[in-house]
Amino acid sequence: MREIKTVTVLGANGAMGAGSAGVIAAFGNAKVYMLARDLEKAKDGVEKAYNSVKAEVIRKNLIPGTYDADLERCVSESDWVFELVAESYEVKEPINKRIAKSRKPGTIVSTVSSGLSIERLAKAFDEDGQKHYYGTHFFNPPYKMILCELVTHPGNDKKLTKDLGEYLSNKLGRAVVYTNDTPAFAGNRVGFQLMNEVAIFAEKYADKGGIALMDEIMGGYTGRAMGPLATVDFVGLDVHKAIVDNIYDNTKDAAHSTFKLPAYMQKMIDEGKLGMKAKGGLTKITKTADGKKEKFVYNILTGAYDPYPKFDIAYIPKVKKLIQESNYKAAMDIVKTAKGMEADLARYFIARYISYSLSIVGEVVETKEMVDMAMGFGFNWVPASAFVDFLGGPKDTIAIMEKSKIPVPTILTKSKPNKKFYELGNILDPRSLFKG
Amino acid sequence: MSDKVYVLGGEQTDFQRNWSKEGKTFMSMMREIMTDALEKVGIEPSEIKKLNKDNRVAVFVGNFDAEQYTNQGHLGAFLTEVDPAFYGVPSARYEAACASGSVAIDAATTHIRAKDYDVAIVLGIEVMKTVSSTIGGDFLGTAAYYEKEAKGLSFPFPKLFGKLADVILERYKLKEEVFMDALAEISRINYDNAKRNPKSQTRSWFMNKEHAMNRGSETNMAVGGRLCITDCSQVTDGAAVVVLASKKYTDEYAKKKGIKTSEIPQVKGWGHRVAPITFDAKVAESLGNKYILPWTRQTVKDAYDRADMSVKDIDVFETHDCFTSSEYAAISAFGITEPGKEHIAIQDGVIDFKGKKPINPSGGLIGVGHPVGASGARMMLDLYKQVTGTAGEYQVPKVKNGLMLNIGGSATTNMVFIVGK
Repeated sequence: MREIKTVTVLGANGAMGAGSAGVIAAFGNAKVYMLARDLEKAKDGVEKAYNSVKAEVIRKNLIPGTYDADLERCVSESDWVFELVAESYEVKEPINKRIAKSRKPGTIVSTVSSGLSIERLAKAFDEDGQKHYYGTHFFNPPYKMILCELVTHPGNDKKLTKDLGEYLSNKLGRAVVYTNDTPAFAGNRVGFQLMNEVAIFAEKYADKGGIALMDEIMGGYTGRAMGPLATVDFVGLDVHKAIVDNIYDNTKDAAHSTFKLPAYMQKMIDEGKLGMKAKGGLTKITKTADGKKEKFVYNILTGAYDPYPKFDIAYIPKVKKLIQESNYKAAMDIVKTAKGMEADLARYFIARYISYSLSIVGEVVETKEMVDMAMGFGFNWVPASAFVDFLGGPKDTIAIMEKSKIPVPTILTKSKPNKKFYELGNILDPRSLFKG
Repeated sequence: MSDKVYVLGGEQTDFQRNWSKEGKTFMSMMREIMTDALEKVGIEPSEIKKLNKDNRVAVFVGNFDAEQYTNQGHLGAFLTEVDPAFYGVPSARYEAACASGSVAIDAATTHIRAKDYDVAIVLGIEVMKTVSSTIGGDFLGTAAYYEKEAKGLSFPFPKLFGKLADVILERYKLKEEVFMDALAEISRINYDNAKRNPKSQTRSWFMNKEHAMNRGSETNMAVGGRLCITDCSQVTDGAAVVVLASKKYTDEYAKKKGIKTSEIPQVKGWGHRVAPITFDAKVAESLGNKYILPWTRQTVKDAYDRADMSVKDIDVFETHDCFTSSEYAAISAFGITEPGKEHIAIQDGVIDFKGKKPINPSGGLIGVGHPVGASGARMMLDLYKQVTGTAGEYQVPKVKNGLMLNIGGSATTNMVFIVGK
């Protein structure tokens, strides 16, 4: 395991920067230089950092500073430089050049980027720097969401990667997923596939309930805490666009067309309807004069906000009721056999999610356990392999995929019958991710 | 008349889960834990059905307060919802506040010793995150004399165990820094141990000695006199099952598993004593006694006597650290030190994971979590794991015998079991 005593965090005032600094100072017991554009922002980051891990005592490990005054000195003292500035080459590359100049040999430099090419970002460094350059994709908020995608590029050293992985996992308590340097890595590649395709279908079914209908169909009973489109609203439509555009432009797999941002979402972004942070996106919550909350949903056909509708889809409350009593098998039996357009759509998306998750094994990650960890710990979604078991095993899952005209991944056809397909039961209980 | 009682194993839920957030209830928890435990022990529902035909199996449910937390009584009857195999199986709920799990074990072991049943399934269960911590704190107040000790107070229990800390300090004339440091060390050890336990509530939480010592700060607020957040176990949802059996059944079971009966742990000793319910009466009664909680000590002694053992025979302890002060008092009750000298054992690392007498390798109530009615069953499950060498990363080497102390109220109901091979 690598010994890391001093760390510089760049972009330390943001939620991710401060939260990551808190985790490193607390669990890693490291001295953390928290750098931002100005000192006030950096100090604000220090407050956020110790509050995020609920321990004032780590405050002494957190030292605020600025890019202008402190970057070179802090970097030269550090064993690890963790860069969390804005997500673009234009911002990251000039900063990397500065880091490269003052970095001492052997210092790790990593970025939190959720989609940029790690290999391209590494180019700012000399050979030793490239060898020590990684993507360390933490999730928000870092203290609670323990996933870390450790993204490698061809210039990395295997032994070093292993040491860093052990540090992140044993010392910082991260669930480490090793991924290749492919667009959006593992979690976002799979997560945003589903979110974007559900958004595309919302337009297709705009006259039947659109956005609200899709989230009803893909609600908690399909193994997530929040509907896929509510999640888009939570992360922001602009962030969603950046991620799916990047995947659309730079990959070509069987689900390629499902990464095309729907036109109505572009229109919403142009109008500033970015989601929760803009107080309105795919949904909007307002308060009446007497303080009562009212929820509205964007109408794709009219561009107006309509009152959030209630649906009467017969099979869904039955499934929820069974999940409330942890009767998952009976719940999934209904999901497998329910009739009607909504149930067909649910099966289509579940099949797609499982199929797409398993399809990235080989290209993005080495094993299905890696993508299962990414989805379980990074999104709080029931991992694909676990879903296979809930559906009655590979054979039944393949039948659903074939009926929904979804490609069947070979990993599934080659799986052994009468054996649990999910192998992470000891670290992640997938039952906890079904919401009743 | 008397028969040996064997422990066949069991399971606990992941104490990190918040079942209300998942949209689930006590019923879902009961279904999951019973299914998991029976699978782990290797008893099929068909086996339950077969045993029940001859009235050989019963279920003992430990639960403190389902009425208030989940608006449901009569928990003993709910096994019938888990699986039709439980139709007709004798089953009832047992209550003694935070020792509910242990009184369920007590009833179960008694029936086995009396040869009434061959298999006794003990299920401890508590769903607590259905209400806010303030409301839950008031519910817990009913484990004390509510009218006199809890009514109108917010968080009455931290206050009662804060008083215990005061009495320890005063009676043994300890230096306050030394004592508070020892309590912080108890907290540090429990959190560290819990990190090795994949089912503990706090396994991903940050804690260190310095934070535990930083009492009264904004992130470690006072909750009961000298005791702060890091001195307390936290509100937890959880359940645990242990399956107990007679010699007759254990012989059949061992044969089926291809092992020897002697490889299966037994309940070797037990103690059950009830101290005066109010904390003030406890303190008044123990004036002049070297033990502040003499009935807790007596319970341990009873168990040692019944097992024909002493502290030197015990390799690992699971104690009721609802607060750091209760674990502190337990150290001398176990006989690890003389009363008043507990801090020395703590400072010397005696109770640490790698110490001579490790306490709470699981993480205890502070680290694993404290779903009140489940804690007794969880402790016995942890003793089973230690004795059978199946505790994984939190295994203490070479454990032959383990002892558990589970208490209800302010050390009012005291229950001790010794499990060993």
